Amino acid sequence: MDFGLSAGRAATALLLLAGTVAAADAPRVAGEIDAKGLARAIARENGKVVLVNFWATWCVPCREEFPDLVRLEKDYRDRGLSVLGVSTDFDKQLPAVEKFLAKNRPEFPNYHKKSGGDDQEFIEAVDAKWGGELPFSVVYGPDGKKARVLSGKQSYADFERAVRALLKPV
Amino acid sequence: MNILPTAIGVVILSAATGAALAESPAIGAAAPTFRLTTLDGKSFSLADAAREHKLVVVMFIATKCPYSNAYNDRMRKMAEEYAKKNVLIVGINSNSTEPAEEVRAHAREHGFAFPLMKDPGNKVADLYDARHTPEVYVVDPEGKLRYHGRIDENYENPEKVASPDLRNALDALLTGQSVAKAETKAFGCSIKRV
Repeated sequence: MDFGLSAGRAATALLLLAGTVAAADAPRVAGEIDAKGLARAIARENGKVVLVNFWATWCVPCREEFPDLVRLEKDYRDRGLSVLGVSTDFDKQLPAVEKFLAKNRPEFPNYHKKSGGDDQEFIEAVDAKWGGELPFSVVYGPDGKKARVLSGKQSYADFERAVRALLKPV
Repeated sequence: MNILPTAIGVVILSAATGAALAESPAIGAAAPTFRLTTLDGKSFSLADAAREHKLVVVMFIATKCPYSNAYNDRMRKMAEEYAKKNVLIVGINSNSTEPAEEVRAHAREHGFAFPLMKDPGNKVADLYDARHTPEVYVVDPEGKLRYHGRIDENYENPEKVASPDLRNALDALLTGQSVAKAETKAFGCSIKRV
């Protein structure tokens, strides 16, 4: 039987298929979120330590610290850490957000802050003392209460210090 | 404005000097005074500038921050427009990652004619607890803080600004009214401190 497919073309087809699978596997934006939705997402992680990181693709220090968050979540998920990312990019930057996620491959959900309205309401709902600077992270204890806020770029050690005391002992 | 042609370093004159990282000054409280050297080598004193103008706008800005850069035209236009009303707008760059030469080149590129200063060791940003760029503070002739926050709510599109907060504050103060929204927030780039 002639399948009409040379070995080279078959290999190309397989590579294309693999590429399609890889793209499908790549982390995508988990959805739009507003302040109330974020509060619900945090509440769903009941009993866990939750680190919420606010970032944007235009924010260089956000991009720099993100790989450390990806590593932190992998290192501490078994001890009860959940990480939630929130991109504050505008809608038109969503392709850049998807590309950033595909490159960094976080194994935690990343939402997109709902556009429209006044960002001040969102900022104040997250933390009354937050000025809006990015990056910004908030750590919630297993009781759901806010335990720490981290303003500006953090190192892996900074993130680790912020969550370790709240996590289950080894 | 009394600008002395002396090349002095940073001299912090505030009563709050003792605190390395002060709380953000409250609206109506004394704005921390400071003295910095402008990029063209002149001495700038906030206290002197406040006495000599109807209002002074202290604006923390950056060269590389997309949010701050989105406001370059608005900053230039507002500085020109409000200078006619005896309002002085000054820019402070506190980012340790952005040297004076870069700030100077950025100002030339965007036609900034207002006084610009580097803030060595981010001491002035610390005095104000300024967190990001752009972030602005309006000071009255008595040296009191009258507005703190964003320029407006729409970094993306100056044509669709719904809440021109800095303009509203300046216009209210210039006509002897109180500022309806004296504190506002918006996203911005964190200040790269030493």
